[in-house]
Amino acid sequence: MAADTLTADVLGSEASEGAGVPGAPETAGASGALTAGRARPSRRAARLRLLLTPAAVCAVLAALYAWVSAQDLDSIEQRSLNPSVILTKAAEHLEMTLAATALVVVIAIPLGIVASRSRNRIATPVILTAANLGQAVPCIGLLVLCTFLMGVGFQTALVGLVAYSVLPVLRNTMIGVQQVDPALVEAARGMGMTRGQVLRRVELRLAVPAILAGLRTALVLTVGVATLGAFVAAGGFGELIINGLKLNRMPVTVVGGVLTACIAFLIDWLGALAENVLKPRGL
Amino acid sequence: MFDTETEGARIELRALTKHYPGQPAPAVDNVDLDIPAGELVVFVGPSGCGKTTTMKMINRLVEPTSGEIRIGGKDVLSLQPDELRRHIGYAIQQVGLFPHLTIGQNIGLVPKLLGWPAARIAARVEELLSLVNLEPSLFHDRYPRQLSGGQQQRVGVARALAADPPVMLMDEPFGATDPITREHLQKEFVRLQKRLRKTIIFVTHDFEEAIKLGDRIVVLRERSHIAQYDTPAEILARPADDYVAGFVGQDATLKRLALLRVEDVAPAGPPQQAGLPQVAAGTSLREALDVMIAHGSDRCSSPSGVLTYTALCGAVGTGRPSSPGREPEAVPSLPAPEKVVAGGR
Repeated sequence: MAADTLTADVLGSEASEGAGVPGAPETAGASGALTAGRARPSRRAARLRLLLTPAAVCAVLAALYAWVSAQDLDSIEQRSLNPSVILTKAAEHLEMTLAATALVVVIAIPLGIVASRSRNRIATPVILTAANLGQAVPCIGLLVLCTFLMGVGFQTALVGLVAYSVLPVLRNTMIGVQQVDPALVEAARGMGMTRGQVLRRVELRLAVPAILAGLRTALVLTVGVATLGAFVAAGGFGELIINGLKLNRMPVTVVGGVLTACIAFLIDWLGALAENVLKPRGL
Repeated sequence: MFDTETEGARIELRALTKHYPGQPAPAVDNVDLDIPAGELVVFVGPSGCGKTTTMKMINRLVEPTSGEIRIGGKDVLSLQPDELRRHIGYAIQQVGLFPHLTIGQNIGLVPKLLGWPAARIAARVEELLSLVNLEPSLFHDRYPRQLSGGQQQRVGVARALAADPPVMLMDEPFGATDPITREHLQKEFVRLQKRLRKTIIFVTHDFEEAIKLGDRIVVLRERSHIAQYDTPAEILARPADDYVAGFVGQDATLKRLALLRVEDVAPAGPPQQAGLPQVAAGTSLREALDVMIAHGSDRCSSPSGVLTYTALCGAVGTGRPSSPGREPEAVPSLPAPEKVVAGGR
């Protein structure tokens, strides 16, 4: 069943890439399906899902391998579809995703905390508008702009990715901190905790599930958008997709698309594991 | 921090005022109040009368606009607020237990903030859990959501007591529990306070609760103006004005009977007479009266003697049964207020 969703997803993103307008709306649609897939089910179903995802990904990878092996690959296809190229692209893709996410954590969580404070009534709308803008501006447009300013390469791709995925983490941090019961904050202050202690020991601890959920969304978004890195020569699976399209080699595009989706699913799966482990006990 | 650690400390409020910016009138207006060491004083008044604000100024969760607060002679406003709060117990209606911490961690929080060694904290947590009648081995490692409302309230009280503060502030700590649990918690709390003798400020809008718990009651009106500050028996017997009388309600005499116990009246006659309805020595006079009415008798028998209706009326100073009606000054046998308070428990 998960395999079905997966292929549908891959086809969806493939279609959008194939249309030649790999802008924000399409990618958002693809990750929308991912987000909908993890609407909180019951505990047992969640546990079952934890086993299902890696199994489905393995099945899809095996099917992909079998399909590609059955093809008669010409020299152009062979130049892209070999283990060393695929591993290199996978490493580049992951590197981009993880570096962008690390930056997002460093930027979005503190900003989210700042935005959550009722004292910062002026700063909050400014921060939120900026973060919204980052997601609203088409990533490909931002990448082109950044290319003019900083040239092509890894850093340029990073800027685009970070701008694109700050919002979910920032929003969730803000909401996670704000939704902490005011009575808890009052009790904490009344017991003699400093404002910093209240933030670190109470508010942030209780916001952990929300922050992790935002981070998971951001990661999955980033994996999808990182395919655009190929346009600024940052590598990644986007390169396979674009090369396949340019050279009219369908198998190369399919491999690029399916592998991207597999990474997205696996990262989402790791995110679910992390949520289970890091969620404070007692909640 | 305060000179008398653990044992209660005296609290003095002088011309205490809180004026929120943009408000036409102050929320708390010029309050003067002395709270003797080791007493439980209840602030009672309608919602929005400023009783909670007054209380919160004492641990400076609300900063006073002007005025003076002294605890154990020390000027509170000159102390560092966070440090001050660690030495004042604080319990609120919503309890506010931290859901991500175990019961043990919740109780041990203030001692930890004060830098106690781990062994001392552990010992203190065990002691407090036993004190509030929660089996330490059962509850120490549980999380708050695994506890019932009443159990959570007890943990809340234990947490407020954790660092053995001389002063405790309690904002309707039993307000969110059902009547039976509430009654139970109140009784336990009275017993606890008898042992600990902390100085406690207890905020409630429930006058019944105020009578049950308070050594003294402060009846507050708008802007925290003090309408009357006296012992429960005194407020019931002699409300200062119509406002206080309204708070007391129509059954002031019955409430006063509830403050006295059968053994305090020293009834005449031999103990345990057969043929009469029996009551225990610790029964309140109100319950004894209930027994009499239920049996259609004007007397009942207790281990310390026979209690008559006349003695009952005499205890609250309402003259002979043949002429009912309130003549508080007519009968001089009214017990001294302090004694009534002590007997009310």
